[in-house]
Amino acid sequence: MKSVDVLYFNLQVFTRHRWRTGMLAFCVALGVASVVLLTSLGESARRYVQREFALLGNDLLIVLPGKKQTSGGGVPIYGTSPRDLTLADAEHISRLAAVKSVAPIIAGNGAVSYKSRNRDVIVIGSTSGFLQARNLSLAMGSGLPDDSAEIARPVAIIGSKLQNELFSGQNPLGKMLTVDDYRYQVIGVLAERGESLGLDMRDMLILPVRSAEALFNSPALFRILIELHAVSDRQSVIEQIYQIVKQRHQNEEDITIITQQTVMQAFNNILVTLTAIIGLLAAISLVVAGILIMNLSLISVQQRRPEIGLLKALGASHKLIQQIFVWESLMLVIVASVIGLLCAQLIIFAANQWLPILQFVAPIWSHAVALGVAMLTALVFSWLPAKQAAIVSPVEVLRG
Amino acid sequence: MKLTDGLRWINRAVLSQRQRNLLTILGFAIGVSAVTILAAMGDSLKQFVLNEFTQFGSNIIAITPGKTETMGNTGILRTNRGLSLYDAEYLANLPHIKAMVPVVAGTAVVKFRSLSRATDVVGVGHHAAEAWNMQIAQGRFLPKDDLLQPRSFAVLGSKLKAALFSNKNALGQQIHIGSSRFRVVGVFASKGQFLGMDLDEIAYIPAAKALELFNRDSLMEIDLMYRANVDVDTLLTSVKNRLINRHGAEDFTIVSQDQMLESLDDILNVVRFAGIAIGAISLLVGSVGIYTILTITLSQRKGEVGLLRALGMQQRLLISLFLGEAVFMAILGGMAGLLLLACIQLALSLALPQLPLLFTFASVSLGLGVSIVVGLLAGATPAYQASRLPPIEALRAE
Repeated sequence: MKSVDVLYFNLQVFTRHRWRTGMLAFCVALGVASVVLLTSLGESARRYVQREFALLGNDLLIVLPGKKQTSGGGVPIYGTSPRDLTLADAEHISRLAAVKSVAPIIAGNGAVSYKSRNRDVIVIGSTSGFLQARNLSLAMGSGLPDDSAEIARPVAIIGSKLQNELFSGQNPLGKMLTVDDYRYQVIGVLAERGESLGLDMRDMLILPVRSAEALFNSPALFRILIELHAVSDRQSVIEQIYQIVKQRHQNEEDITIITQQTVMQAFNNILVTLTAIIGLLAAISLVVAGILIMNLSLISVQQRRPEIGLLKALGASHKLIQQIFVWESLMLVIVASVIGLLCAQLIIFAANQWLPILQFVAPIWSHAVALGVAMLTALVFSWLPAKQAAIVSPVEVLRG
Repeated sequence: MKLTDGLRWINRAVLSQRQRNLLTILGFAIGVSAVTILAAMGDSLKQFVLNEFTQFGSNIIAITPGKTETMGNTGILRTNRGLSLYDAEYLANLPHIKAMVPVVAGTAVVKFRSLSRATDVVGVGHHAAEAWNMQIAQGRFLPKDDLLQPRSFAVLGSKLKAALFSNKNALGQQIHIGSSRFRVVGVFASKGQFLGMDLDEIAYIPAAKALELFNRDSLMEIDLMYRANVDVDTLLTSVKNRLINRHGAEDFTIVSQDQMLESLDDILNVVRFAGIAIGAISLLVGSVGIYTILTITLSQRKGEVGLLRALGMQQRLLISLFLGEAVFMAILGGMAGLLLLACIQLALSLALPQLPLLFTFASVSLGLGVSIVVGLLAGATPAYQASRLPPIEALRAE
């Protein structure tokens, strides 16, 4: 029997048992589609995080005050240590050849008021490099002055939401704000970009870092963001920064440096693992479909005993009969899988039309895995029925 | 037809097609166990997280500096309107407050002779051990000193003690934290991790000393433990109003543990629901299996149906017989699924004994309940079709 003939033979079987074939195809397609759709959810989340990080621009080094030697490693999130990380430290770091720019950050919260309006927001003190390091742009006005690290100028940049809350439509440029009894002139407004990795940039006040020092009466920096030249050897630069700060801090290494990449990698790993688990759980449905395949094939073998006997009497071998039945399942599963994949694509497409911000994507590998698992189940679960079909003895059947 | 006759008929019908029914049941069982396992895992995840957050005791109100209109914990940020130790003392003396813990945290180097370790240092008050359910292994916790002028005592986590003193006695020894000297008065029993932070690596010192050490003016948080018989919401408002009076403005955030757990609960419920939905896909495929097999079986039993109808059996009875068959198979499937669940539970508990229970009353009732519903749904169409068969038609098929 040629393979084309096997194909035709099985096609006839399918058209004869349209309903049964339909139910099976539905199950397989459902399983395949759900594997693809669920992994696409995970994958989209991963890409979303990646995009957010990409928006932050170049790979930054982040210096935190404090250090932990404890078993789990761990990042000193409090940013509180006996010896402050100061602007002078940042200044020394910026002298390294490989360092392109440095943005020291003081973070606090304060009540910002304009006339009778009042709002509690995060207050950031930094230098002109900050907007670039966080990849923020201005909707109007100008950025922090270049001498932010030297002179405490009474100027401020405000986020878009803060602008709405305090000025509601008026032009804020040149107006005087009050923050905890200090007065600052608004020189710029941030362009709306929304939440960036948990920090709401819309609801924020940015001051020159010296002004923030004065406002909070403390020289302690919360973080230092460091942008490197593209060509530099990151690891050795990190070592150098540790050395510089250690020298300045009485020979004690009391800072922690993390790279943006490691943070992103951590997120990435979690999301990839999660996606894989979800995909696997969805693939259980394919196994259940496989059991149904086996069941229906067994019934079909039972009903088609005379036919098989005839084939065998005409000289069909054991192997051929087995092949016919395995092919039957395989063909069905392949067609159903393709339908399932198409459905998944359709749903993703529709979802993207409906919610364009989310941008669902189904990873290529999930298509391959879904198809592979489906075909594997078809092979495994049609094995027994095919074997049963092959041992039908022609004499016995034809006698009936 | 008596009920027992009906049951026997169903039993025989299921048994006569042993192979196909076994496979159907197996498929359905996998679906049921997928749903129940995922539901149970969602439940235990929820339990685990809630336990993590309540291990520090319940009936807690947390106050942090800075009004959070937009983001979460602002305690670690700088502020000019912080919570002082005077605030802490004032709050501790409010009615219904059983205990008060001021909190300042940071990292510092803890030194004993030539050994040192950079780790978390947390400034607290003398109620902390009792309020946060922490057990002292040796010595005692920080004594009840004046909140503003405490003595320089420190209590170490078990791992930190081991790192600095190994097996030697730590009690009464002088250690350095940052550049200040502290005397070790106690060592905690091991408590494990919380949100990736190793609680056994922490050194606890009086809050006033921690403010000095870290050169800060404001506490990061004040925890208030209230008596169990008090209504939280009234207490929350009264504490809030008093503090507003004191500060002249609402420049702090006050949250009860219940409120925090509630928002956590919402997130966890979504996770749990998502798990059930994923399991439900397998269950749906399993149900389609039951439906398909029943339909095929009934079409093969046309003759029997015709005979029964010709003998005067009512349509209603026929429907209930076939429905009974479907439900019977579904229940068998459900029970097999629960058996599968029990096996997995057994294997898991041998491998990872600290894992929580999957096999709960909730998962059993969920599994069986779903089985019955699915059996009824999957059996309805085939049963109806069978009952509608004209007897002549059916008999001709013989």
